[in-house]
Amino acid sequence: MVGAAEEARLRRLESQVENGGGGAWEYLCLVRKLKLRRSDQVLRHGLALLNDPRARSKLGGEEWTLYEQVAIAAMDCQKLDVAKDCIATLSKQFPSSGRVGRLEAMMHEARGAWAEAERAYALLLENNPFDQITQKRRVAMAKAQGNISAAVDYLNKYLEIFMADHDAWRELAEIYVSLQMYKQAAFCYEELILAQPTVPLYHLAYAEVLYTMGGLENLQTAKKYYALTIELTGGKNTRALYGVCLCSAAISQLTKGRNKEEKEGSELQSLAVEALTKDYKKRAPAKVPLLTNMLRNMKLTS
Amino acid sequence: MAEDLVLDTAIRDWVLVPLSVVMVLIGILRYFVSKLMRSTQLPDAKVVKEGQVIIRARNLRAAAGFIPAKAFRARRIYFTNEENGLLHVPKEQAQNAQAQMFSDPNMAMDMMKKNLSMIIPQTLTFAWVNFFFSGFVAAKIPFPLTQRFRGMLQNGIDLSTVDVSYVSSRSWYFLNLFGLRGLFSLILGEENAVDDTQKMMQMGGFGFDASRSLAAEKDSLDIIQHEWTLPKMEQRAEEVLRKLVK
Repeated sequence: MVGAAEEARLRRLESQVENGGGGAWEYLCLVRKLKLRRSDQVLRHGLALLNDPRARSKLGGEEWTLYEQVAIAAMDCQKLDVAKDCIATLSKQFPSSGRVGRLEAMMHEARGAWAEAERAYALLLENNPFDQITQKRRVAMAKAQGNISAAVDYLNKYLEIFMADHDAWRELAEIYVSLQMYKQAAFCYEELILAQPTVPLYHLAYAEVLYTMGGLENLQTAKKYYALTIELTGGKNTRALYGVCLCSAAISQLTKGRNKEEKEGSELQSLAVEALTKDYKKRAPAKVPLLTNMLRNMKLTS
Repeated sequence: MAEDLVLDTAIRDWVLVPLSVVMVLIGILRYFVSKLMRSTQLPDAKVVKEGQVIIRARNLRAAAGFIPAKAFRARRIYFTNEENGLLHVPKEQAQNAQAQMFSDPNMAMDMMKKNLSMIIPQTLTFAWVNFFFSGFVAAKIPFPLTQRFRGMLQNGIDLSTVDVSYVSSRSWYFLNLFGLRGLFSLILGEENAVDDTQKMMQMGGFGFDASRSLAAEKDSLDIIQHEWTLPKMEQRAEEVLRKLVK
């Protein structure tokens, strides 16, 4: 997650670098720190730095970090010859290093030589079974090959040990959603909510999974989580507003016969409708009729 | 009061300077030797996992109100049940943990290596200084000092009449031993500086008992009352929206 201040700084640096104003190294450092995927720019500016002997020697020991960064960016851009050069330089400097070994395995991956990459990763993990990055690479590779069940297996095995890694939980949750295994996905989202209870996105995703699963109890819970998302985002999240409406509609349909208990929830939904219409009027006036039409179909407005 | 002792220039050439040079060289040598001997120790799977379990259990405890009661109960059982709960530590194992740590040959070996690279050169240089230079007045600092500094600066000379600003050779050795860190961090790079004082402090605290913190986490998870905060959220969301709509 990138904060607003950092993003502004990144944009400024990016435009500065693009227009030849220098500061390429700071830009590359920032990209690395924020773990952004700007492979194109990284490749261009990083390579320019590496090809300039004076600039390179100024970096000192950081030179090798730059080689690694450029190699990964080059693989992302399918400039395999550049990546190969970088990796060759690195392996000359650090023979038998696990980090360089990982780069070589990624090179196999980039060439599409899955079997070779698999073997290389297995070898790396044999030497260092707790290498988190290599384990995650393996998951990513399985996913890239379309072998989703293997990715799930690897992720589960990884989470058995590193169970506090919420990024992995998130990945697993998204995979489960894509496989329509909603129960499992809900568990993962619960785990994410526990790890970071103030991030509204997780509550939203959890609510969506619950809504998809259906059933009265799940729908009611989903509505509560949509409400929480509204509270955390200050009502700015359109998706959550829609979610409240959809949940209310579904609940009222399910409890058509016995409409005694569902009284207090009605106000939230009418407020959500109001907020939605107001938002649409302000930002997309052309689509207001569509919205009112749909809400009428859901029998939320009279 | 002995009026201005004159120090022979030969003392400077043969005691003061060689002592400092030797100390620097030994420091550098020690850095490379310890780099050779350093074994990259693989973290133990159990230790890694225990740390992660504790973080996750703590998260569960802190944010319990945000997940439904059913989900919370399932997790609590998963963590604290008496058969195979993650936080449950069998009795006999808890007692053995300390003993195990000492019997683990790898750990003992590592400690030995660390200590060897530190203690042996220090004893040797100290013996060397004592043997060759004991009793020398090696230098004079250019400003007067109070009597309290006598112990620090004139270690090895038992003369109360000598002015305190004279430094004995053994004291010069100690000053070098503790004062060369800045120089080392210049020569060997910031993080590689051989820091004796810090190493000595590290010696004390070793052996962190994971089973105890696991048990503590289990107890606090057991007594926690689950209260779902979500029902309150609907009202709060209503308030937020009401403000927004107005």
